Amino acid sequence: MKKTACILLSLSVLSVCFLLTACSKDNADNNPTTGMTRISEGYAAGAATKVEIYSKQSLVNTGYNKFYIALYDSVSGNRVEEAHIHLTPVMDMGMMQHNAPFENPVSETASGHLFPCSVTFVMPSGSGNWTLEIEVHNHVTGKEGTLVLPITVTDPVIPRQQSFTASHNGAKYFISLIEPSSPRVGINDLELAIYKKESMDNWPADSSLTITMIPEMPSMGHSSPNNVNPVHTGNGHYRGKVNFTMTGLWRLNLDFMSGTSVADTTQSFDVQF
Amino acid sequence: MKYSFLFLLLLAGLLTGAQSSSSMLSDDSTRSIELREIQVSTTARSDRQRMIQFYRGNQSAGIEDILARLPEITLIRRGTYGMEPAIRSLSGGQINVLLDGMRIHGACTDKMDPATIYIEPVNLDEVQLQTGTQGFLYGASIGGTVNLKTATVPCHNTRKINGSVSSGYQSAAKSFYESLQLRYSSGKFAIHSSVTWRNSEAYRSGGGQRIPFSQYQKVNYSTTASYQLNERTLLKADYIGDHGWNIGYPALPMDVGYAVARIGSLSLQQNKPGQRMYQWTTKIYANQVRHYMDDTHRPNVPMHMDMPGRSLTWGLYTEGLMKLTRQQQVRVIADFSSTRLKASMTMYENGQPPMYMLTWPDNRKDQGGIGMNWKWRADSNWTLQSVIRMDLISTALTSQEAKEHIRILGVNNAGRLELLKNISVTAVRKLYPWLQSSLSLAYAERMPTATELYGFYLFNAQDGYDYLGNPKLAPERSLQGEWSLQVQGKKIRIKTSLFYQHIRDFISGSIDPSFSTMTIGAHGVKKFSALPDAHLTGVEASLLFKPVAALDFISTLRYTRGEDHSGDPLPMIAPLKSTSTIRYQFSRFFLQAETEAATAQKKISNKYGEDKTPGYLLLHVRSGFSFQLAGKKTDLQYGIENLLDKNYHEHLDWGNVKRPGRNVYVLLRVKFG
Ligand SMILES: [Cu+2]
Repeated sequence: MKKTACILLSLSVLSVCFLLTACSKDNADNNPTTGMTRISEGYAAGAATKVEIYSKQSLVNTGYNKFYIALYDSVSGNRVEEAHIHLTPVMDMGMMQHNAPFENPVSETASGHLFPCSVTFVMPSGSGNWTLEIEVHNHVTGKEGTLVLPITVTDPVIPRQQSFTASHNGAKYFISLIEPSSPRVGINDLELAIYKKESMDNWPADSSLTITMIPEMPSMGHSSPNNVNPVHTGNGHYRGKVNFTMTGLWRLNLDFMSGTSVADTTQSFDVQF
Repeated sequence: MKYSFLFLLLLAGLLTGAQSSSSMLSDDSTRSIELREIQVSTTARSDRQRMIQFYRGNQSAGIEDILARLPEITLIRRGTYGMEPAIRSLSGGQINVLLDGMRIHGACTDKMDPATIYIEPVNLDEVQLQTGTQGFLYGASIGGTVNLKTATVPCHNTRKINGSVSSGYQSAAKSFYESLQLRYSSGKFAIHSSVTWRNSEAYRSGGGQRIPFSQYQKVNYSTTASYQLNERTLLKADYIGDHGWNIGYPALPMDVGYAVARIGSLSLQQNKPGQRMYQWTTKIYANQVRHYMDDTHRPNVPMHMDMPGRSLTWGLYTEGLMKLTRQQQVRVIADFSSTRLKASMTMYENGQPPMYMLTWPDNRKDQGGIGMNWKWRADSNWTLQSVIRMDLISTALTSQEAKEHIRILGVNNAGRLELLKNISVTAVRKLYPWLQSSLSLAYAERMPTATELYGFYLFNAQDGYDYLGNPKLAPERSLQGEWSLQVQGKKIRIKTSLFYQHIRDFISGSIDPSFSTMTIGAHGVKKFSALPDAHLTGVEASLLFKPVAALDFISTLRYTRGEDHSGDPLPMIAPLKSTSTIRYQFSRFFLQAETEAATAQKKISNKYGEDKTPGYLLLHVRSGFSFQLAGKKTDLQYGIENLLDKNYHEHLDWGNVKRPGRNVYVLLRVKFG
């Protein structure tokens, strides 16, 4: 009698365990935002759509931030996978306002239930407040609406964005380091995004520069072999390869040229792992 | 003398035990004399042993002391401890250094730990040395094989523990040497254990200057247990443990905090297991070496650095001698071994994450081979011999991290599979009863080493360059020839050898300006690459003269020249060197005087950071006698090395670090049981 109870109990425990693991596994498979942080959320009034912003980083940092927007029908709670989204980042500094570079979702159809996009916050919150205006045209319901979310932007411990005033044309350029995001010993992808500040509300992607990148270990003074200089691949993104021969603190020294004239030779990014 | 006693016992065992054993010995060396009749070959063996006995002048010295006196061997010295042997100027991956037939790979990327350091002379039975043309029976090599054979345990069946205690002191390094040996046998079972402790301070060189970072401490222990399964079969288990700590390397920027080796094997030895089979040994073995190198004790280092490494090898072989006809015999061997290596470097800078990289990215080498040494005594004047070996060797990087490292060098697939072929033929002609001549020709190949294939920014303190491996390196190939003449008289024996090697795809570091240095202060980066060719020519001579029973005279001479494809001298080539020893033995007393002379080396390799080395002449005197101490047989040995306190270094000494000056030593050994 006691034995049977025991067996029954353990069987039920086992099956519950099994179900639990099965469920959580299912969830993991279905949930595209596993491992991401929800940065903010709100309702786009008029579009009857709930908007959630996710990031692979836990904080919004100065520089390039890749966001993933999830949309839900605010009545049914179902995912909205057909929509047109337009972003407008705004920095309100009291005396003045300015915008920032951004990339709207490329497609009006969600990819993996999400709409990838990006905002490059050119400065941290503090001397002003960042908001992100999101216009949503819900293609399922045909309704349109706008939502404004406050965003807190912090400077990371190691900067991921630099800016310089180019010596060849006097324009101001903002450089963000996108990759390597998780550096390791070996060959790493190198990706930079470059935006030019035309005016307070116009921050176009730049494709005009050529970049020379030399990695260096400042404490030892050595470099690494077989790096590939980043070249423009579209929308202001420059891609190359950077090789790290050991862990530690590396400095990626960057020289920017515009044709044959020097734009800037003073910038660098530190990468530490 | 205990050694001679043990040795005689062994010899007697071999002579009476089996004729096969002694004829087995006949191809243990390339020395042509050993190709002849059994009696002669044992004499030859004892000649060599006598030389070793001779050269074991200072019995508290390490094994390097013995090797250094063999004319074929030169030693590359980076510290007092762990000198790396070279056979006819070839070293590292070009030769095999075996312990009782076992492969052991050092765990140090700076070659601080050649396998020779794991055998204490007190346990050494025999140094088997096979030079180029016949040196690849036990493994593909272009330079030859040194096999250190440890003493076996004779079964006395005394049911009593016997052994010896030794204690020694050397003045130059204020070093102590203590050793204990114990033996016990009962019925079919025998066991032999030994422990040796060495403690050496920084030594003083000629003229009296202390050489900083030349100290070392070590403990070595070994146990051999054997069991006679039946009349013909012996089961044997061996274990050697070696722990070294606080080992300084004055010529390198780093020292060793701790190094440990564990070496174990199990073997089955069969005596005459079949009609035509004379002796058969099958062994399975495993060993592990761990090596912790750091610069903690060095002043003014820009950045503190740790460089640990480890190696793990296991293998097995089966080897035997078969008598095909009265005139023909063949020794065959089949072996397999697998080695795993890993070494890394971590540097520390305040306020920054540690800088970590692999210097030997995790890698594996699997090697399997079969070899044969066939000998045919065609008639009373002619003997023909041929050694053939084939190896299949595969190497690979074994971790994702390792592969990522090597990808930086632009190599995606770093694995290798090579079939290596080695073959030689030797003809021996007896011209007169007292004179014989032999001629050998060989084609040999060897696999590039882990350092040469996968080394990652390994700093070479000799030339000041960082070295990078090259996973695409071709095997080194060599065409070589050796001619020797041997005079064998009643009181005299003279042997001269002339050799020539032409090496194709000679592996060497070449400056690659596309890489930037890693090590602070390095001159540049060299990548291992194949030079079109290189050649080595040399001569060796030895003389044994025994005018009267009490007097022995031994003299050796060697000279080698090496050049690369552009006619530049090869690095690490010793100049003309000659040693002479005269020994007078009267009853229980002996007196021995030695000279050691080398000419200046002016043929130097500038590319490898060499400079000229002046010649030198050294004088050593030794003496000893046996007596009874409280009823125990006791040996006392004493002597003075470098009597003239000459301040000198040899050409193969890295960093021109001066060798020890006048060294007074004394050793007391008491036997019991
Ligand atoms: Cu080392």
